[in-house]
Amino acid sequence: MTTLRVALLHLRVGVMNDLQYRVNFALQVLQSILAVGVGLIVFQLVFSHTTDLNGWTHSELLAILGVQAVMAGVVHAVIQPNMMRLSEEVQDGKLDHALTKPVDAQMLISVRQVQLWQAVDIPIGAVIIGFALARLGGNVGVLDALAFAAALAFGAVLLYCFWLVLATGSFWVVRMWFLPELFEGIFQTGRFPVGIYPDWLRFGITFLVPIAFAITVPAEAVTSRLEWQTLLFAALFTVAAFVFSRWFWRFGLRHYTGASA
Amino acid sequence: MSGMPSAPALGQVGRLRSLADFYVTTMRTEIQTQFQYRAATYMYLLGMVAEPVIYLVVWSTIADSAGGEVNGLTAGDFAAYYIVWTLVRTMNIVFTPYGWEWRIRNGELSGQLLRPLHPIHYDVAQFAGGKIPWLFYYLPIAVVLTLVFEPTFDVRPAEIVVFAVAIWGAYLIRTFNQTALGLVCFWTTRVGALFSLYIVLELLLSGRLVPLTLMPDWVQTVAWFLPFRWTFYFPIETLVGDLTNAELLAGLGMQLFWTLVGIGLFSLVWRFAIRRYTAVGN
Amino acid sequence: MRGRPVGPDPVVWVDRLEKVFDVPERDEGLRAATKSLVRRKTREVRAVDGISFEIAPGEIVGFLGPNGAGKTTTLKMLSGLLYVSGGEARVLGHVPSRRERAFLRRISLVMGNRNQLQWDLPALDSFELNRSIYQIPRADFLALRDELIELLEVGDLVRKPVRQLSLGERMKVEIVGSLLHRPQVLFLDEPTIGLDVTMQKRIREFIAAYRRRHDATVMLTSHYMADVEALCERVIVIHHGKILFDGDLAALADTVAAWKTIAVVLQNGAGDLSSYGEVIHRDGDLVTLRVAKAETARVTARLLAEQEVLDLNVEDPPIEDVIELVFAQQATQ
Repeated sequence: MTTLRVALLHLRVGVMNDLQYRVNFALQVLQSILAVGVGLIVFQLVFSHTTDLNGWTHSELLAILGVQAVMAGVVHAVIQPNMMRLSEEVQDGKLDHALTKPVDAQMLISVRQVQLWQAVDIPIGAVIIGFALARLGGNVGVLDALAFAAALAFGAVLLYCFWLVLATGSFWVVRMWFLPELFEGIFQTGRFPVGIYPDWLRFGITFLVPIAFAITVPAEAVTSRLEWQTLLFAALFTVAAFVFSRWFWRFGLRHYTGASA
Repeated sequence: MSGMPSAPALGQVGRLRSLADFYVTTMRTEIQTQFQYRAATYMYLLGMVAEPVIYLVVWSTIADSAGGEVNGLTAGDFAAYYIVWTLVRTMNIVFTPYGWEWRIRNGELSGQLLRPLHPIHYDVAQFAGGKIPWLFYYLPIAVVLTLVFEPTFDVRPAEIVVFAVAIWGAYLIRTFNQTALGLVCFWTTRVGALFSLYIVLELLLSGRLVPLTLMPDWVQTVAWFLPFRWTFYFPIETLVGDLTNAELLAGLGMQLFWTLVGIGLFSLVWRFAIRRYTAVGN
Repeated sequence: MRGRPVGPDPVVWVDRLEKVFDVPERDEGLRAATKSLVRRKTREVRAVDGISFEIAPGEIVGFLGPNGAGKTTTLKMLSGLLYVSGGEARVLGHVPSRRERAFLRRISLVMGNRNQLQWDLPALDSFELNRSIYQIPRADFLALRDELIELLEVGDLVRKPVRQLSLGERMKVEIVGSLLHRPQVLFLDEPTIGLDVTMQKRIREFIAAYRRRHDATVMLTSHYMADVEALCERVIVIHHGKILFDGDLAALADTVAAWKTIAVVLQNGAGDLSSYGEVIHRDGDLVTLRVAKAETARVTARLLAEQEVLDLNVEDPPIEDVIELVFAQQATQ
């Protein structure tokens, strides 16, 4: 539990840090709204020329947009800042500070940094999902809601594992400044149901970059399209990914500290 | 006696020649620098490519399900549009207002102000130099995209020539627009808000999001009066569309016009920006 | 009352120069942080508070003072980076804040631990860039470049990317880059900060040699007394934005360099050490003594023989003591 307490302490400092920059909040709200606005305009354009996209209606697509916003908030507020900081510290040699603390290193490097204002995307996304559900008829069964919550959790953990693996790569390939841009680009594919993409791309954004599990699957859950096999598979895949990413992290750490070749 | 000063004052021609010398030297230096970052730049360009590929797939899907075409554009046309888009995009990535924020904060601007040459020359020359290696990195990406998405092309030699000029026009317009925006950093740290608005306008009105012909009529009308369409849609159109020679030349003329507007706006604000900076400094 | 300067036109002329900043203020803690979201407090800081001096061609002047004294601010005003709040300044006849091209080509400002060279490329490439920026004729450029490289002994460093150089090596190549256009006035802001003793010496020797060869005027700021002692005939002491002393270094040295401080940690607390020298500080077992320079060796020997010494350090008095002594001296005059 010390680990958790230390982590929360770091979080508190991070939040206090963020509060210094009052600009950020207003700016972030603006940018989130603009991003959503553009997404809505795109849907408007798309659905002026067709009635469904790969079997998804306009309202269902709104649900996808909402889930994407929520996930974007989670990534930008919590996951990405920590992973980019890890990558920078590997480059500057400052990682040693984190490694000499008497807590699990992976836990520490995963929670100590936060960009609070980016979390604005989460309530905005929730609003869009609510709006989409309203247009669809409003009723979300208990089972669907539970499946949705589970799918979101799996998605968040998968995105975390993905980022951890990438950031661990910094132990070998030091300069990773392009990561946020690269991820942003690929993440945008999640605005649309993964079914529309050519097979090779769909494979990539399901198993290599967990976009499908992070966005499409929760959206399916909340719009009552999810099959239980998919959810089960998502659970198993999440566990596997977590185990693998932890192993890879420790492998990288051993390499960094010179414990193995 | 005091030390000899450096080069004596030069006439107009001499000034132009040394400016050209500066551009060539800076571009050469930048190519060398960029060469060291090949891998990272590649990753960055791949991330950039994701944006048009998504829209390409979406619109092709719609076209296929709507009987082959949307507003007269087939899946092949969309592929052509968005693939040329990636080349235009590679060329029109420029120094952002965030760069100005960083430059002011970390003192790099002070170093530049000590030099007897306007910092804008450095930015224009540096990014122009960077485009050359980027174009080489881009080629394999273009080949892969062409093989995968099978665009339909129908180009005349005149169109290629105009295109080669238009991409630099797009570069210049965006450079001066974003530099003018960047000057806002001298007064406030909130430039992010303005820049976000600028990007959204650009997304909708430049052909960056979708070919302008797919936008509602009133949007297309508005787009005619703004510089955005000349940074994406026009260059793409020269290769992908069916413009007459007259229209091609007129387009280049419009690019020149908007470049001059950008330069004018920037020059005007610069004087005030420097006065502001030297009041506080870094 | 200062009128037009007499004698040969000074290279640097400063008259009642002022620089005032508005600085935001905030208390610590979460509550104050949230409060500052709404209301901003500022206070006025007079970084430079009415200073006047002249520097003649070929002089090398040291600007000495503790951190925050106004040294860097003054240099920035003289090089055109900062607008003047009050008073006037002229460098080589130009008004610096106008940043005229002819002015910028005749000056150079080097700031310690600030890089103006390209980070990822060998210094030689940055020199080439400077050549094109300052429009230096190629033959002149090559000759001076090679001369500077030789003087600073950086021949094998200039082909390595700047980011691979150590702090001291980087400073040396920065200096080469800043002199390629043969400036008449050289502003050096803390050029030896963060460098080891050997490197500091090397750079000081270089500056002296450069000035002799090219007849430049040098204005140097530092908070190391040693920098100023080694290079400058004249020193201006500045503190809280005001000039405390402007004159012969020898005069100042007589006052200050006559002393040394000995910091000693004793085994069994500290008894009465006043017989060794003036006790100026006491912190538990650590005692700081001020002794006359000539006495230093003898007092040190006595301490080591008569006391149980755990640690002993002999140092030049810190610049703050110099200021104090200058104040004291002025008070008695």
